[in-house]
Amino acid sequence: MIGLVSYIVFFLILSLIFGIAVLGLNLQWGFTGLFNAGVAGFTAIGAYTMAILTGPARDAVLGGFELPFVVGLIGAMMASGIGAVIVGLATLKLRHEYLAVATFGIAVTIQLVCLNWEYLTGGTLGLIGIPNPSKAWADGPLAQNALYLLVVLVVVGLTFAALERIVKSPWGRMLKAIREDDIAAASLGKSPERVRLEAFVLGCMIMGLSGALYVSFIGYVSPWDFLPIVTFQIWTMLIVGGSANNRGALLGALIVWGVWTMSGFVISRVVPSEIQAQGGAMQAVLIGLILVVTLLIRPRGLIGEELHVSRHARS
Amino acid sequence: MLQKYGLAAAAAALIGIGSSAHAADCPVKLGAILPVSGPMGQVGERIAETGLFAVEQFNEAGGVLGCPVEYVLRDTQGQSAVGVDAAKSLVDLDGVQALIGAVSSGVSLPVLTSVAVPSKVVQVSCCSSSESFTALAEEGKTEGYWFRTYATNRSQSAIGAKLTVDSGFKNTAVIYVNTDFGVGLAKRFEQDIARLGGSISSMVAYNESQQSYRAEVTKALEGNPDSLYLVAFPVDGATITREWLALGGTDNLIVNNSLRSDDYFQAVGPQFLQNLQGYDSAQPRLPSVDSFNEMFEARFDSPPNGPGLHSVYDAVTVVLLAMEASGDITGDNIRDNIRLVTSPDGIEVYPGPEGIARAKELLADGKTIRYVGATGALSFDRNGDVQAPKMTWKLDGDENVETGYLSTAEVAELIKMLDE
Repeated sequence: MIGLVSYIVFFLILSLIFGIAVLGLNLQWGFTGLFNAGVAGFTAIGAYTMAILTGPARDAVLGGFELPFVVGLIGAMMASGIGAVIVGLATLKLRHEYLAVATFGIAVTIQLVCLNWEYLTGGTLGLIGIPNPSKAWADGPLAQNALYLLVVLVVVGLTFAALERIVKSPWGRMLKAIREDDIAAASLGKSPERVRLEAFVLGCMIMGLSGALYVSFIGYVSPWDFLPIVTFQIWTMLIVGGSANNRGALLGALIVWGVWTMSGFVISRVVPSEIQAQGGAMQAVLIGLILVVTLLIRPRGLIGEELHVSRHARS
Repeated sequence: MLQKYGLAAAAAALIGIGSSAHAADCPVKLGAILPVSGPMGQVGERIAETGLFAVEQFNEAGGVLGCPVEYVLRDTQGQSAVGVDAAKSLVDLDGVQALIGAVSSGVSLPVLTSVAVPSKVVQVSCCSSSESFTALAEEGKTEGYWFRTYATNRSQSAIGAKLTVDSGFKNTAVIYVNTDFGVGLAKRFEQDIARLGGSISSMVAYNESQQSYRAEVTKALEGNPDSLYLVAFPVDGATITREWLALGGTDNLIVNNSLRSDDYFQAVGPQFLQNLQGYDSAQPRLPSVDSFNEMFEARFDSPPNGPGLHSVYDAVTVVLLAMEASGDITGDNIRDNIRLVTSPDGIEVYPGPEGIARAKELLADGKTIRYVGATGALSFDRNGDVQAPKMTWKLDGDENVETGYLSTAEVAELIKMLDE
């Protein structure tokens, strides 16, 4: 049973870290209608910032600051935020699929920069030895992971509470107004460009936070952690869970990551070993099928957007 | 509905978990985390099948401590997070004490740091070449749980440089794949060739899976190189070679062992590759290697040409021998006994069911053994790295012929000379 508990703790850590990135994307797509197809790029910025700020000194590579974990998290958010301001100013005039293509290109560019700027990122060798704070506070893998899960839960809780507060505020209502009809919003004296940029930057900062938590947990970062498939996974989580609903975003992360990993487990158990080498293809089919079926049954996601006129209106 | 079936199957599978967590129970499980789908899928699938072949042969010889070995394969999809989860699931839910894998260093390293070392489980990779592992081991952070049966870049660049200089080339262009593998190898090559008196005209990195490499090739052609050192994989390597020759590049090619593949020769056309030379780490001239090759052909109807096949066979066999030598199958015992079954002064044993049966008898008598396997005699250094004997080869018509051979001792001597 200890094995099962240990695995579940591990599973929750990874899926909740993904969940944080999904929350960031939800602010952008769910509430503001920004098609950001560059999620992996912004998690990468956060991840590398964390690695550089908290990691040990290395030959010929920037680093050795060994700053505390929390400073790393804040730094990661700031760096992703700065990246998002630059990207946002350049691209947010584009709408819908044009924005998607532009941000996708930017994510690929960021990944290639990570691959090639060796002084900053260690290039293809990546950065090793990134400290995990739970290793200093607890003994044994289960206790350490449980502690890290607690850290992740606190971060998820804070992010979730802040986002819930934000989207219910006047600013949050403005996001939805711009999502639905930005000309109407502009006619009321709102500035859609500015608000879109704000939502984009805030969402990307949350993605950076997710990347930072990931590298600190794994202890290693390389450009291979931020391939475009990661963006696809985060998007799937949001769509399956239900966009424009923060609960849906977190639920989607748990379910999609669960399907992704469980399908591998099930195949290793039920497929005879002689044909297991072909099992990878079966796993991909299984993942695809479950996602398609979910979307056919629940096209708005498992928990869709809650429709209401105003939270102050009495029904 | 499908989701429900999936969950039901998962729940049914979970019931079996508690019973498999104890080391002495049958069957003994061996975990494998390999990329059987995704970009490395084709390579990974053959590696996975060869791993299973090694387990089957061990089972023919009676398994480990009288128990059949079960090979539990999980797909990494070439993604680090998926690989890490698969490894954790194998350790926690299947109770494996040793992991084989992964292929790319970008997956193996996260698995090592976040699963294998904290859980005290041995990890043996067939194929990860990054120098980061050696660095991590030097810092003591692998705690000895990391091994690889793939000879490190160190010896590959050394033999590549020696081959280039021995062929009389004075001005060599280098094109290499922009991965940890390619970058590490090309940089070492640059140092080694300078040490041996050759020179480099240009160093050009390329990113994988592009339609054309005209820009890279054009850049590499600057400075009139008299030879090209190419570190690539077959598909991209063929594209580069065709464009290189079409743009007037010399046909004096030196290629890394990853291009010792019929796919590459046929894609370019062997008639254009008659001045091609290469080296390989995995084909020493030893009876153990021939017998592996014969057994492999008998089983798969094709020769074991392709990256990682010999080294994954040895990775699996060494781990299983180490389990056999352990009374109690734990990660710590496997880690320590891997040294015992590859001891330089042990009695030599060979691959295949008979060889393994003999190894088991010797271990039962309390003797130390030296496994001489599909990649030759393995000897892990303190960082878990191996050096392997090297051979050089060229194409003669369609035939891949051996042109030279350096034993492990000669390779070690060459490296020592280069590093001084």
